[in-house]
Formats: sequence, structure tokens, C-alpha cells
Amino acid sequence: MRRAPGRDLAERVLGGPVLWLGLAALTLFAMLPFVWVFLASFKTRAELYATPIVYLPASLSVANYVEAWTSKLTPFSRFFANSLWVSSVTMVATTLVSILAGYALARFRFAGRQTFLLIFLATQMFPAVLLIAPLLSQWYALGLIDTYQALIYSNFSFTVPFTVWMLVGYFESIPLELEESAMLDGCNRFGALCRVVLPLAAPGVAATAIFAFVASWSELLFAITFTSQTEMRTLSAGLLFMVGQYEIQWGQLSAGVIISTVPVAILFTYLQRHLIQGLSAGAVKG
Amino acid sequence: MAREATLAAPVARPLLSRRARELLTGYLYLLPVAIALGGTVLFPILKAMQMSLYNHVLIKPQEYGFVGLANYARLLHDDVFWLTLWNSFLWVFGSVSFQFLGGFAAALLLHQAFRGRSLVRTLTLLPWIIPGVVVALIWEFIYQPNYGLLNDVLSRLGVMTERVAWLSSPVLAMPAVILTNIWRGVPFFAIMLLAGLQAIPTELYEAARVDGASVTQRFWHITVPMLRPIIVVATATRIVWTFNYADLIFVMTSGGPANATQITSTYTLMQAYSNLDFGYAATLSVVLLLIMLGFTIFYLRITRGLESTT
Repeated sequence: MRRAPGRDLAERVLGGPVLWLGLAALTLFAMLPFVWVFLASFKTRAELYATPIVYLPASLSVANYVEAWTSKLTPFSRFFANSLWVSSVTMVATTLVSILAGYALARFRFAGRQTFLLIFLATQMFPAVLLIAPLLSQWYALGLIDTYQALIYSNFSFTVPFTVWMLVGYFESIPLELEESAMLDGCNRFGALCRVVLPLAAPGVAATAIFAFVASWSELLFAITFTSQTEMRTLSAGLLFMVGQYEIQWGQLSAGVIISTVPVAILFTYLQRHLIQGLSAGAVKG
Repeated sequence: MAREATLAAPVARPLLSRRARELLTGYLYLLPVAIALGGTVLFPILKAMQMSLYNHVLIKPQEYGFVGLANYARLLHDDVFWLTLWNSFLWVFGSVSFQFLGGFAAALLLHQAFRGRSLVRTLTLLPWIIPGVVVALIWEFIYQPNYGLLNDVLSRLGVMTERVAWLSSPVLAMPAVILTNIWRGVPFFAIMLLAGLQAIPTELYEAARVDGASVTQRFWHITVPMLRPIIVVATATRIVWTFNYADLIFVMTSGGPANATQITSTYTLMQAYSNLDFGYAATLSVVLLLIMLGFTIFYLRITRGLESTT
């Protein structure tokens, strides 16, 4: 039997300097824009528009945050609450709908199952701009302009296809025998789903739910089209609205950018691990 | 005997057979999703197709009416539309190719074992998860000619002497928005390929090492072939998504200057928002949909082919 040779020169270079330089470059590329905006969010007006550029703010003043949060014209506290509500309701509703659909597609063999799966895949490929004009006239006809419902319902168009697609994969990976024995013990289908399948699929369900939240949190085009009042704007729409006001207030805007980023960044630290696992499970199936 | 017969007789025979009940339950579970997507995707698409056959400009209600395929004829003669298709190609090709290369490199780096790996993973994958409008504004600030980061860094490095207005230059605006999109998209490929790398059995590499395969040989003969399915899926998904994606350009340049960054999806948006021409916007979006359907069919053919070869 032959033994594996030791690390050769190429491996030592790749594992040492190349790895560290690469990681440094990658981190710098990813983080530098954040650092720039984070620093800017503490700068005073004079520091923001100074030549040559002032990189470090003289003090960590939170004035920009306070101004953005309490501003009458662009109230970020209100935008934040709107985003939180719209994204949370979208997340819960999407998850409920997708659990049922994902379970049915994973477990029942019925005519049109393949077609359904294909529709969910194809729907993810539709351009959002396609839906804007028809949805606008639809929500207008139903009197839903400037309501949370219009935003929540519209968000289904992009959250539901993805979460169903992901959940079908998760549910298929759970052994059928467990449900069968539960049903022999007197559980009906729904009971087996709630008591056996869901606890086992919980990490996957949580990851897809967070995906739905993050995707709704980021949504821009629906939010600017189906709302016209300042009080109804989400963070994304509010940020864009802020740009439209007179000259761009980069200090407040930077604070708004940080406010919009922090919640999804926190969720993402949790999501990251599950997402990589889930994607590899889904992707292997292709 | 008689007692046995009564025992064997079905006590309460269900109305439907077991199979039929299963089917019914299955469809019942699909009912909510059918309503949700019927109301927000299917019906609006049909509505868009109908709108594309009408002259429907919000500020000219007196001209509203059925015009047949006139909007499609207008599209064929619309030079800007053909320009936006070319711009879309540049946008997709420039974004996705560099996102792929950067993401592949990032995945290989993040797959290695090193101290603080999970923190570095989270930090470097962050640009993908933040809202598109946030990405657009951060980079608008970086590109700002007078007090933006990029001009200052480049002039300090001695690369350039004059300030450049990145987003208002017809030549530089497209590369600038593409760079922003690359920044946003690298983590997507990194996550997908990292997932793929983790699924490759380590025994393969060990066996290759025993046989004396070098790093590069192992990369080309194990890593790349094993990742091929995921590369195809990720790239196709990204191409579609980038083609459809309008937020970045819409916020950063609105397709300007002089349509230099106008891609088909932002052009559709601008028709609806600026010109309030819903008929023509619907026509453009139907054409977008057809292009994407064509691409999807092409893509499904390729992936079917991949499955049959393995």
C-alpha cells in the first residue's frame, strides 16, 4: 500500500500565503463599503462634505440616527415598523401556505404533480416588473392601495414559489415510515404532519421562513408602487423617498442604511449555516 | 358463524375510497397556494397580456382602447428597446461571469479550515442579503464625484488626477453598476459552491493524493466535475435573476445617462413610472417573460441532459 505524499510546495503556498491574502482581499472587498457607510453615519455635515475627505468622524455622535428616526419628513421609526409588520406577516403566511403545499407535493402522488413543481420553478424566473402594472390595477380595483395587505399579498408572488420548492426537498428527505407508524397509531394526515414531520423539518422550515422575511424586507418595487402615503412606506421605499427629497442628506441616509441592514444581518448569521446545508441538499437533487 | 359475519362487515364504510380521500386531501393542501399564486402571479400575468393589447396611457384616458398588436409593432421599431436588449446582455454577462469567478474563489477560500471561519463567512456573505436599495445607495455614495470614496482612493494611489463622475458618464456608468452588482452577487455563488464543496466526499481527495495527484490535478479532475451540476443550476438561476433585476439600476441611474445603463427590465419600469404608459410597459414585460421562458426551456433541456449522463 502506498502512503500519501507530504504536502508539496504548491499546497504549502496555497494553504499559507495565498489563503491568507485571498481571505484578506475577500473580506476587504465585502466589508469596505459597509465600513465607509458606517463611518459616514456618525459624521457631521462638515465632515461629510470636506475636501480632502475626512475618513474618521471626530466623535461617535448619533445625531444622524436620532434625526432619521424621528424626522417628520422621513420617519424611519415608522418605516421600520411598517417593514417589520409586512415582512413578519408575509413570513408567517408564506410558511403556513408553503408547509401545506410542500408536504402535499412531497407525499401525495396525484395527476399534475410534475406540472405543479415545474410551475413553482418557472414562477421564480418571472420578472417582477411584469407584475407591477397588473397588480397595481388589481389592488386599485379592490381598494387596497396604501394598505399592508397589498404589500403582503404581492410579496407572496416571490416568496411562496421559492419556499415551496425548498420545503418539498426537506419533506422528501424525512423517512416515510415515521409518518406511517404515527398514522397506524391513530394520527390522521394532518396530525402526522404537525407531530412527526414538522419537528423533524424544523431547521429547514425556519430557514425558509427567514428567507421569506429577508426577501420581503428587501422588496422595493411593490412598496413604492402600491403605497403613496409617507406613513405606509417600508424601509426600502423610505430610503428611496429620502433620496428624492431636495439634496441627498448622506448622513441621515447612511444612518437609515445601517438601520435597514442590522436586522437582516442578525438573521443572516443564523440563516447562513442552514442555508448552506439546505442548498446542498436541494442542489444535489438538481 | 353469524356473529363472525357481523364482525367482519364494515361498521361504517367511508363514503370515498382511501385513494380518493388521499387525492382530495392532497388537492386541499394545495388550495391555499393555488389561491395565493393565482391572485398574485397567474391572474396578473393574464391581465398583463390583455393590457399589452390596449392603448393605455394614464395621462391620456381619452385615447384608451383596444389596439391589437400595435404595441408589439411599436416595440419592433423601437430603437431603445433593441439597445436595452444589448445593454441587458452586457449587464448579465459582465455581472454573472465575474460573480461566478469571485464566488468560486471565495467558496474555495471559505471551505478551508481556519480560525474565525464562521465570522469571516458571515461577513463576506453579507452583501447578498441586504436590501437592493441599500446596496444601490451605498455605492452611489462611493461613486459620488466630490466626496465619494472611490475617487479619493484612486487619486491617493496616483491612478488618476481628475475626479470622475462615474454614474453620469455614458462610458463608465455601465461598468460602475456592473461592479456594484458583482459585489452583491459574489456571495450568492460563494454560498452555492460552498454547499457543493461540502457535499464532495473527502475520500475522493485522499484517494487522489495517494495516487500522487497534484493540487491542480485534484481541482480539475475532482472539484470541477463534482461541482458541475451545481455550477449549471447556480449560473442559470443567476442569469435569469440578473436579467430580471431592476432595483439597482433603477435607484442608481434610472437607466441614464442617455439610456447608457437602460436594461430591458428598467426600461419596462420607466415606461410605467415616467411615461405612465401601461400598455407599452405591459407589452415589454410580456416580451421579457417570453425571453425568460425560452431561456428556462433551454436550461431545463441542459439539466435533463446532465441528469441522463450521470
